[in-house]
Amino acid sequence: MSWQVLSGTLEQGLMYAIMVLGVYLSFRVLDYADLSVDGSFTLGAATAATLIYAGFNPWLATGLASLGGLAAGAFTGLLHTKFKITPLLSGILTMTALYSVNLRVMGRPNIPLLRMRTVFTDFAQVPWVGSYSVLLLSFISVTVLGILLYLFLETEIGVALRATGDNEHMIRSQGVNTDAMKILGLSLSNGLVAFSGSYVAQNQEFADVSMGIGMIIAGLASVIIGEVLIGTRSVGRTVVAVIAGGIIYRFIISIVLQLGLAPTDLKLVTALIVITALVSPAVKKKLFLPAFRK
Amino acid sequence: MLSVRQIQKIFNQGTINEKSALSSLSLELAAGDFVTVIGSNGAGKSTLLNSVAGDFPVDRGQIFIEGEEITYLPQHKRAAWIGRVFQDPMQGTAASMTIEENLVMALRRGSRRRLRRAITHKEREYFRAELCKLGLGLEGRLTNKVSLLSGGQRQALTLLMATLREPKLLLLDEHTAALDPKTAAKVLDLTCQVAEDQRLTTLMITHNLDQALGMGNRTIMMHEGRIILDLQERERANMTIPGLLEMFEKAGGANMLTDRMILV
Ligand SMILES: Nc1ncnc2c1ncn2[C@@H]1O[C@H](COP(=O)(O)OP(=O)(O)OP(=O)(O)O)[C@@H](O)[C@H]1O
Ligand SMILES: [Mg+2]
Repeated sequence: MSWQVLSGTLEQGLMYAIMVLGVYLSFRVLDYADLSVDGSFTLGAATAATLIYAGFNPWLATGLASLGGLAAGAFTGLLHTKFKITPLLSGILTMTALYSVNLRVMGRPNIPLLRMRTVFTDFAQVPWVGSYSVLLLSFISVTVLGILLYLFLETEIGVALRATGDNEHMIRSQGVNTDAMKILGLSLSNGLVAFSGSYVAQNQEFADVSMGIGMIIAGLASVIIGEVLIGTRSVGRTVVAVIAGGIIYRFIISIVLQLGLAPTDLKLVTALIVITALVSPAVKKKLFLPAFRK
Repeated sequence: MLSVRQIQKIFNQGTINEKSALSSLSLELAAGDFVTVIGSNGAGKSTLLNSVAGDFPVDRGQIFIEGEEITYLPQHKRAAWIGRVFQDPMQGTAASMTIEENLVMALRRGSRRRLRRAITHKEREYFRAELCKLGLGLEGRLTNKVSLLSGGQRQALTLLMATLREPKLLLLDEHTAALDPKTAAKVLDLTCQVAEDQRLTTLMITHNLDQALGMGNRTIMMHEGRIILDLQERERANMTIPGLLEMFEKAGGANMLTDRMILV
């Protein structure tokens, strides 16, 4: 693997790891199989690209893209809690609706951002950063978001959110509105996913309406890889684990590509990784994965 | 304290599985009452407790706590008044979370949860002292996950969680039924102790007639969604287990001995 491929993979791993944090929050913390992710990832990319293309400040565009993700997650949460639609179907409904929304936002299937001002070109202006801009900014972002997520999960609200995923009946009898917790958790989750999508679009210098397809499975694969390799003993450790999982997953993909597999086969490879993980007795023993089996 | 007025609950109304679980049931508890609830399987005991706690809405009737109507409040809002322990030790705690995290959730029952660190040194000290009182050695295991505890330890922890914030009403649904006799005795002991210390108004379902007459100050017997017997004071003091069985057969017509009743 050349240095260029290596650093490119690491950059991608770091920015996709933000999406993995979101998937961890819904699938593992809330125990909620949320498929909105495919749509909200694209929503983040589409919103950021459209705004940047229109001349908006890229930092503002990234922020607005993340807010879009928050709203999408809240929508899924509302479908589930207020209208009693199953978690899976709520997510699929949001994902499907978002496909049209994303096309509306972009006005066409893809938007190029070649040589446009992005958060990465901005950050490259900082002294000493230069060509390490993508690497450094992605690293800083995922680290800060990971720490914030960890700190949040240790707050009173965070503890209630985790309990909602563990034992809903119990935490309700302790006075927590579990519907509100689910909406909050799904919002934050999809906000992170959209944030990640906006970074990916700015890094690859285009947004495409289909770029989120299969994102949820990539996220799951990353979460599982991280948890198996690093462990889940404490919340802090698990957050580190899923970030590492996101990076390792990108390296696996990169290696598979180097071995000569066509990029179009990647989704198949990812699905196989998840299937292998889910049927492997060692993984089953190590991880308790209720959301994956409903 | 607790006032249940003519509540009715029919499950699966309008289907072939329709089941009337509570029919026009009324119950008044004075503050500090410790009431044991007995009755055959399917009599509606759990449904009564769950209706009070708000697991589901009742079809008819009203429920008041300290004069305040709670009939239409969702479960999580009623939690401010109510502490609960369930039959299944798994139900009362979050298994994947630590002992201290479980306790802090109970400590915030009835107050707003904020974006501040859930557990600090102060809480830890307090939890250690409270766990010490259980006498199970849990005070040294604050950061252990609850999944590592035995059923009895989990039930004791749930009881502590239910009473950490002095509830107005304590609801116990056969909370020792899943434990071995020795552990059950220990948890019952703790129950009596905390109920006495905090002078808690308590509703305790049990299948053990000895407990039913020996604990608390009042015993009610349920059958087919109704209260068919309400024993207090003198009448209760003079009641024996055979007497209780006889009364049940007279009132309900069924033979309680064929049921899950435990005589001793
Ligand atoms: N969620 C529910 N859906 C449908 N029917 C129910 C439900 N909960 C209880 N029932 C029915 O209502 C009746 C009363 O049940 P309940 O659980 O209150 O009895 P119980 O007195 O607690 O019995 P046990 O001693 O077996 O615990 C039973 O016939 C039961 O089958
Ligand atoms: Mg019952």
